[in-house]
Amino acid sequence: MAANLDVGEVLDARRDYNAGLTTTARAGRPIWAPLLLLLLLALVPALQLTGGYNYLLHLLLYMMMYVAMASSWNILGGYTGYISLGHNVFFAIGAYFSGMVLAFFGVSTILTAPLAGVVAAGMGFLIGLVTLRMRGPTFIISSIALLMVARILFDNWRFVGGSNGITLPQLSLDAQWIKIPYYYAFLAIAALTVYASYRIKHSKFGLHLRAISQDEVKAESAGINTRMTKAAAFAISAFFVGMCGAVWGEYLTYIRPNIFLIILIAANMVLMCILGGKGTVAGPIIGAVLLILFNEVSVATMGASEINILGTGLIMVLALKYFPNGIVGTLARKKKLPRWLDWD
Amino acid sequence: MGQILQILILGLALGGVYALMASGLTLIFGVMRIVNLAHPIMIIAGAFVIYWLFRLTGLDPILSMPIAAIAMFCVGLVLYKLVFEREAASAKYSEMTVLLTFAVALCADGLLGTLFTNTQRGTNPSYATDAIFLSDYLPKGGALAGLFGDVFIPTGQLYAGLASIVVIGALLLFLRYTRFGYAIRATTQNRAAAQLMGVNVGFVSLVTFGIGIGLAGAAGALISFIFQFFPAKHWEWIAILMSLVVLGGMGKLMGVIVASLLLSVIAAFVGTYFGATWSTLTFFLALFLILLIRPQGLFGDRIEEV
Repeated sequence: MAANLDVGEVLDARRDYNAGLTTTARAGRPIWAPLLLLLLLALVPALQLTGGYNYLLHLLLYMMMYVAMASSWNILGGYTGYISLGHNVFFAIGAYFSGMVLAFFGVSTILTAPLAGVVAAGMGFLIGLVTLRMRGPTFIISSIALLMVARILFDNWRFVGGSNGITLPQLSLDAQWIKIPYYYAFLAIAALTVYASYRIKHSKFGLHLRAISQDEVKAESAGINTRMTKAAAFAISAFFVGMCGAVWGEYLTYIRPNIFLIILIAANMVLMCILGGKGTVAGPIIGAVLLILFNEVSVATMGASEINILGTGLIMVLALKYFPNGIVGTLARKKKLPRWLDWD
Repeated sequence: MGQILQILILGLALGGVYALMASGLTLIFGVMRIVNLAHPIMIIAGAFVIYWLFRLTGLDPILSMPIAAIAMFCVGLVLYKLVFEREAASAKYSEMTVLLTFAVALCADGLLGTLFTNTQRGTNPSYATDAIFLSDYLPKGGALAGLFGDVFIPTGQLYAGLASIVVIGALLLFLRYTRFGYAIRATTQNRAAAQLMGVNVGFVSLVTFGIGIGLAGAAGALISFIFQFFPAKHWEWIAILMSLVVLGGMGKLMGVIVASLLLSVIAAFVGTYFGATWSTLTFFLALFLILLIRPQGLFGDRIEEV
């Protein structure tokens, strides 16, 4: 009898193996790349000492916000395979929660952002428990309906100002410095989101999510509590979007349903993930940077926001038809992905 | 009593128009398994065709309905050839196709917004603001006049409801009694079997897509005078039309007609007793409830998994 092999050892070996599954590729990651990027981004505001770089700061800040939003959309849409076109509902919930706290108690949204995230995550969990019972296209339709319901409710909610929204107090800083607190706030949120996205992808939870996206019935029969796992993914992805909304509201100095609850924001999140590569860690970042640059160029050269919608739609059609794996996905498939982009 | 009849009349007239708006959507889904999120913007495109015809030549919106239908039919053919041919061939119910139609909707929204701006528009033929008062047709001072005396029927909505009954009736007859109608119904029931029986499934898909978008154009003619429209309005209609199609059972034409009348009457009651804002909400809440309780709808079969 092989009596020296007891149950405890078998369980240990299996736990090691499972841990190995999610961490095999972690050794030898080019960890310098994100650190260098973070350092550079953290140093950019120093340019303000010479003045006149407000536009650059705004652009970077906007990009970082969308990096965070796309990455957190990716947790639900990319890893789990549930495509939500109403994710900016949580953007609005975060904005309104922190915005109202700011309006009544004067606490900066940068401090209350995590709380706003928790509120958004709680709402996300509850909504997810209901809507995630639908699968595939039905879920997409329900997410659009969710956005419409939220729009009607916020438009008619007197307490938060209805469709006129509310104006928030401004920081008493010089124009030269006023963007900097928000800049660092978004830098922190973006870094946190991307790190969370990376850790989730390489965790057992992330494996569960990917199993669900492949085949939900098999995942369920393999012992994954799919309902709770999906709802948790929905909540996590709502958390970061809610945090972004909170800070973005104060940065704009007013919150109004027709800023936060428009479908273009959700469309941007989806398109960034598809452009960069759905379900990859680096994809949403690249997609966000590219799409924001495109938006800025098109607004600067052609103005009107309607042309912008047209452009977004055209890019989306082309990307879906001819480039469905996105930049990172396509490069990885051709084995040409540079190491500093390879975080999967 | 009079008020209930009034709400019923308004609800049914509007329900007829909703049925026409949703019929193209359900037809396309039936044959190609494409959930066409771009359908409502096509309705608005049809409404713009009518609007400019009305503004430039003074042509009556209901009479010029065939023009919008034919114009949008052609748009549908081009769109199918450019974008949806490969997706239709696989005829699978998939997320990517839904996203593709969403992207097309964004394109069309942006294009119409760029060309015509997002101001509210509408055609105003003489009957759009008229109404028929029931009291004119009831014996004066009788019991009926006492009950229904203040009931009125807005002629715009009445004509729109009648026009959509005519179009939907023609569509049903076409599907029931022509060879091409058989082919469409066969493809809806079982694509592979239809192909084995010698149906040119690709051609059927192409023409069905055209007919679906053409129906959207026809609906646009009616929209132009019973609602105010602007390009960005279609996002709201997506969820409304989806609730009708889902309640009727995806791909079931009769189902969608019943669902439209039913939900529209419910929404009219909600609107009267709780306020107009909540009548729109009825559709969205209904959509959630149906998807949760009975995802296959009233008349549908279970939808196959991806």
